[in-house]
Amino acid sequence: MAIQFENFSYAYPNSGIVLDDITLTIPRGSFSVITGPSSAGKTSLALAIAGVVPHYFGGRQAGTVRVGNVVTAQSNMGELAEQVGTVLADYESQLVALTVAEEVAFGLETSGLNRSQIAELVSQALAMVGLTGLEEREVAALSGGQKQRLAIAAVLVTEPEILVLDEPASALDPEGAAGIYELLYNLNCQGKTIVVVEHQLERVLPYASQVMVLQAGCLKFAGSLKQTLAFMWQQPDLKLGVPPLWAVKLTLEEQTGLVFEGWKTAEQAASELNKLLPTCEEGVAKSA
Amino acid sequence: MPDILLDMKKVMFAYNSGGQALAGVDFAVEAGAFAAIVGRNGSGKTTLTRMAMSLIKPASGTISFGGQDTAKLTPADMARSIGYVFQNPDRQIFRDTVAKEVAYGPEQLAFTPEEINQSVAWALRVTGLTELAGSFPRLLSRGQKQKVAIASAIAMRPKMLILDEPTSGQDPWDAQNLMELLTELNQQGITILLVTHDMELIAKYVDRVTVLDSGNKVFDGKPSELFNGNHTINAWGLLPPTTVALGRQLAGITADNAEELIKQVTTVINRRKEDHA
Repeated sequence: MAIQFENFSYAYPNSGIVLDDITLTIPRGSFSVITGPSSAGKTSLALAIAGVVPHYFGGRQAGTVRVGNVVTAQSNMGELAEQVGTVLADYESQLVALTVAEEVAFGLETSGLNRSQIAELVSQALAMVGLTGLEEREVAALSGGQKQRLAIAAVLVTEPEILVLDEPASALDPEGAAGIYELLYNLNCQGKTIVVVEHQLERVLPYASQVMVLQAGCLKFAGSLKQTLAFMWQQPDLKLGVPPLWAVKLTLEEQTGLVFEGWKTAEQAASELNKLLPTCEEGVAKSA
Repeated sequence: MPDILLDMKKVMFAYNSGGQALAGVDFAVEAGAFAAIVGRNGSGKTTLTRMAMSLIKPASGTISFGGQDTAKLTPADMARSIGYVFQNPDRQIFRDTVAKEVAYGPEQLAFTPEEINQSVAWALRVTGLTELAGSFPRLLSRGQKQKVAIASAIAMRPKMLILDEPTSGQDPWDAQNLMELLTELNQQGITILLVTHDMELIAKYVDRVTVLDSGNKVFDGKPSELFNGNHTINAWGLLPPTTVALGRQLAGITADNAEELIKQVTTVINRRKEDHA
């Protein structure tokens, strides 16, 4: 199911407007990335999909958010949670149980499944995030990165169709961050809609199908990765958000007049550039 | 050769839950360095910095700071020498104005009122917080709160500043701002030690990097050397910055940073175009 924002504006209680007239479609099955400088409204936009904005926070809103056919303002967080799984930026605040296995089982305990079915699903979810073997570990004894993966497992286990994750790799080392994004991409390939808030666009280069840039509550741009990065590159105050690999690409395009493909990885960029560079033999021949 | 400021020799540490956190590590930081410790989650980075602060004591091994053995020193003693900035600034901010928060450390260290005023004014100025001196810290943005934590640390006039994952969860704009501030502090003579996962920052700002893997030191040297392709950095949970990875895969290009890479590639491509023309 697609997510649609129509002229959506929002203010927290006692705050100014944090989202200003947002009209946007997040297609079903997309890997969508929300980015932009601090205080742009990224988290609020993500929370509006799950209905946390406005149901939990209150505040004022105008316009609508639809998840499939459901208007979030006319639904409630419990009902929306069946479709939308959310991992907060402050992932520790959503961990409630004593042990790792209990944490993941928590969301299933009112599902009507029996004990062994729950145990099976819990162990599958833990395997997906790489926490197998830590079932009996106390949540409090986990590292930041492990807690972050646990929060993701606890959401995955309920099999929502849409996953919304606010900076899902902020506490992870490069290997762990790459692992989480590969996992999200696999889920995406299985048909789930993925929405992430991410500052480091480098991490999503191989995966993102749509990127949305917010700044000071306004939607500045939404489009493919290529379109969005080209847009950000032209904006002095957004340029810094372009990942280093694409900064190289866009600078080379400016300086050579050539146009390169979408560089998803350094390998892809290298194979394209190497076609333009003299091979070793040629280099030798020339200098000889 | 510059003086060694922090000198840890054969430090070993194990947590009660089992698992050796540090297996006899030698770690030294030169005065004036801009250094970093990297490694997987759980490799012992935070244990090492907590040990430098005397927050935990090594099971064996020795630590000295400025030539003085720190075995009998408390965290409060160490706070005069090393400022520590936590990953989450909320955990170390508790007073009701920015200026009072920054004054807390110097007060505890029994600076004179004049010294306190001078230190606070300097710390606020360097971090760009002078205008926010009267603000309530909790209402500031994350980037600003982190600056309050840094101002609080440097107001005690430490020789060294340790920052645990200072850019995690920060956008590139705040991160660049922070790194410029740290570069400025480093130029003013403060030794900087970062714990970080961000390889781009390491490549761009740091002059010396130490890699920990499962409680062992596996690399100690310049970032350019770490990323030169001769080390098994993937086995240590690290990835080279993408531009470095790109440069290494290009025929005839010998660049270890983006600017140089762009220059070399542009030159070759444009020369070839002229040849064809």
